[in-house]
Amino acid sequence: MSKNGNSCRKMKTIAKKEFKELMREKTFILAIIIQLFIASFSTFLVIGLTSFYDPTTLGNIEMQGSSIAVVGTEENEFYKLLQESNLHTQLYTDFQMAYTDFYNHKVDAIIMTPLGSSGGTDLLNVDIYLPKSEIRATIVSLQLKEPLEKYEQSVRDIRTQRLPGYTPIEFNIIKRGLRTTSTYFEFIYVALLPLLIFTPAFISGGLIIDFITEEYERKTMEMLLVSPASMIEIISGKAFMAIMIVPLQSSVWMLLLSMNRVSIDNSLQILLVVTIIAAVLVLASTTIAVLLKERGVAQLLYSLILIFLFMSSYLFTNSPLNLVTRLSIESIGSLEAWTWIGIYMLVAIILYLLMMIVVKRDPNNI
Amino acid sequence: MMASWFTIAKWELLRSKLKFDTRSMIMLILSLMLVIVASYAASQTGMSMNQKIYLVVISQPEVQPIIETDQRFDYILVDRFAASAYNEYGADIAIIGNNVYLGDTRKSAAAGDSLDNTFKTYREIVLTSYNDVNNSHPVWVTVHDLERPQNFQLAGTEETVDSLSRGANRSAGYGTGTNGATGLGSSGAIRTGSSTISPEDIAALDTMEGKTFFERQTLSTPSNFSPPIPFTAILYAFLFIFPIYFVSQFYSTSLMDERTNKKGELVLVAPLRGIDVVIGKTIPYIFITMAIQAAITLYILGIPSTFAGVERALLVLAAIFPVVLLFFALSFYSAILSRSFKELTFASVFLSVIISGYLFFPAMFANIHAISSISPITLIVRLIENETVLANTYLFSTLPFYFVAISVYAFGTFIFREEDLFTQKSITGKIVDCFEMFLSYPYGSVFLLSIVFIPFVYMTQLMLIVMLFNLPVPYSIIAMILLSAMAEELVKSIGIYALFKRKIVDITLRNAIKYSILSGAGFFVGEKAVAVLTLAPIASSAFGSVMTMGTLLLIPLFLHITTVLISSLVMYMKGPRYYVAAVILATIFHSIYNIMILRELFF
Repeated sequence: MSKNGNSCRKMKTIAKKEFKELMREKTFILAIIIQLFIASFSTFLVIGLTSFYDPTTLGNIEMQGSSIAVVGTEENEFYKLLQESNLHTQLYTDFQMAYTDFYNHKVDAIIMTPLGSSGGTDLLNVDIYLPKSEIRATIVSLQLKEPLEKYEQSVRDIRTQRLPGYTPIEFNIIKRGLRTTSTYFEFIYVALLPLLIFTPAFISGGLIIDFITEEYERKTMEMLLVSPASMIEIISGKAFMAIMIVPLQSSVWMLLLSMNRVSIDNSLQILLVVTIIAAVLVLASTTIAVLLKERGVAQLLYSLILIFLFMSSYLFTNSPLNLVTRLSIESIGSLEAWTWIGIYMLVAIILYLLMMIVVKRDPNNI
Repeated sequence: MMASWFTIAKWELLRSKLKFDTRSMIMLILSLMLVIVASYAASQTGMSMNQKIYLVVISQPEVQPIIETDQRFDYILVDRFAASAYNEYGADIAIIGNNVYLGDTRKSAAAGDSLDNTFKTYREIVLTSYNDVNNSHPVWVTVHDLERPQNFQLAGTEETVDSLSRGANRSAGYGTGTNGATGLGSSGAIRTGSSTISPEDIAALDTMEGKTFFERQTLSTPSNFSPPIPFTAILYAFLFIFPIYFVSQFYSTSLMDERTNKKGELVLVAPLRGIDVVIGKTIPYIFITMAIQAAITLYILGIPSTFAGVERALLVLAAIFPVVLLFFALSFYSAILSRSFKELTFASVFLSVIISGYLFFPAMFANIHAISSISPITLIVRLIENETVLANTYLFSTLPFYFVAISVYAFGTFIFREEDLFTQKSITGKIVDCFEMFLSYPYGSVFLLSIVFIPFVYMTQLMLIVMLFNLPVPYSIIAMILLSAMAEELVKSIGIYALFKRKIVDITLRNAIKYSILSGAGFFVGEKAVAVLTLAPIASSAFGSVMTMGTLLLIPLFLHITTVLISSLVMYMKGPRYYVAAVILATIFHSIYNIMILRELFF
């Protein structure tokens, strides 16, 4: 028992030494800056995406100035639908006139209305001319999507009756006051949140390889081994430090996100998941580093394994990334969640045992 | 001389072969196979990690097949009465009869929006199964891109008339052009546009205007109609960048290895110039990377059968080459600066993130905004999408990469010597060493140093545009002014700092003024050269005007000299230790001037 406590203390000493070194080299600070950089880029992306996918946010600001030229006749079905929407439309009789105004920035898009009618049998082709390489083109095409879909629907209402045995799906979605797009919501909880809080775990996995291979390459491992700590204690101490800095960073991310009014449920459980996954990654890369001892090769192998794990997480529902998503929006029952946390815990323990075996068998071990 | 770098290159290749012993080779191949299998399996699933994030309660079994098409939904089938009660706790949506009830949370609202899309997708699936296009998909949308002059440029009268007549010509062309282009393989003729010109005229017009006629054209039904966001192309581009990360890792590790093991000392003692060692150590890695890139290009584009296909593949490689060069240059430089592997890892991750940001974020706007052309990735995206890339677009996006990469290599080679490689010198000390070496060459002067730095400032400012692109307008412009002024002041004064700090010249008032004039003038000359050469594509946006501001010649010259004089005078009076304060002071002055010039943008 006392022997156990002793080795625990030695492990802690090693972990502390590594932590101090990390702080001294300012690299830890740099790591935080990198993550901040990724986060700020991601938020730019979020803003960009929402403005792309939610025309209502842009519409109020930008669309005041732009109007759309419609080439066709007064009675055209599509023209009538366009008038019902909030778009500024201007009717032209021929394309030449519309193009001249387009060229002079009087209109920002030209629509050629189709000639046939919904009762007919011909295809109805709508030609849309948009300004090339202008952000306005994107906005206009977003604004046109709704009237176009309405038009398609109205034509279909008549024509699908000719299809044998077709019954349209008619559901009435009763919306409450809240308006949000699924793209925005899913981007935050499915992509941004898991990516941000797992980034520290990915980095720690790479970090531990540097810790260990550096000792081998600088031939300082022998020096450490002369000290009363055993090989397994040294390695465990390093790994322990690499794991423990992960929940620290992840909790900062969660705090930042909640300051941006992204509410996260089950945050403690999420931190537990992140810590366990960090343990899995760090223990795996520790094993790799002890086996290979060569930094470049070890890092390459670690990256490949990381990609493999990332790709595999598409294959099952409760992959760590999706588990965090489901926990954060309360979409998973507690029994299911704890079962999977247990499974990942088991994986971490198995990897720890594997690491012990590899270290014990290592020829450098004394 | 050529033989000496060649020898080094051979050594390097042999050495890296030694590193991969049989055991690590087996492990790498095994994991690579795992990656391939997992990627293949993942690509079969629709590649979205959003399984079962919403819970739906349904009361009728008919809805079940619809819900099952979307992996985002988890569902429970209960009777009508239970459904209405379940809505209160747990589930996000309840479907009862033809009505869909939502909860009052944001998640519920998002789930409702998703469900709406699921219904639409399902409807499309059902309708597509009918194979009767005229009745199932009666409406088709064709999108054409039309060039027109940007709003900011005010053309002269003569020019306007000219472009008007050209525009009219073009419009006629478009009208009939669509006739030929929209060939839907189904019954019923499609009539679009107003055909006013006979086909012979169109052919003539087409050859006259070349390929700019329709560069991109899309045809879709209204339900599939979406704004142009080239995410798939971005994914392809990612394929190109990924191997560069790996190889540059090996490259910097190899350099660092020599430094920590001091093996490199032997190489330096040998009768070789530093530059030969650098070239010899770099060439094999560049060669390997380009071979991988060629393989990827062929994988994406397919084996070219025509001359045009070969040309396209070569153009993709030509677009990726400067990116490879820059990645390598920065890895090289950080391998020389870092004192440990940990530092190297962080430095390379940091730089990779920044360059990737520079490469990818503008490319997101490919086909949407002119700003996208600053990234070579946009070129690749265009080439993959089978569009033409003009020579000046190529130069515009790749020249900065070439310049920066070459100067970084030059600076790194200056300090590729024993005292910088094998001692624990501080990072700032090594950086100042580069400039000291540069300035002590016979032709090196602060004038030239300022010119050398122009591409760096240029790339930094473009990067700033990308980063500040989404901020609301007055703030983004103010931030842009401050940060770009800071970048300019930093590079103009760094040479003078190195001169004073390393006591290459005496810290006298005369020298302070003399070198300020030289440095300011150098920067001015370089800046004007850049403006003339490349800025045309984005000069028309408000951001661009911050960079090229003041085409009136003498005022900017005077400004550049004055601001650098501020920092050099501070250093003269307080000593080089106050360099940071000096730069900040100069930045403030510079920004005030810029804001004065740009004030019409604010008021």
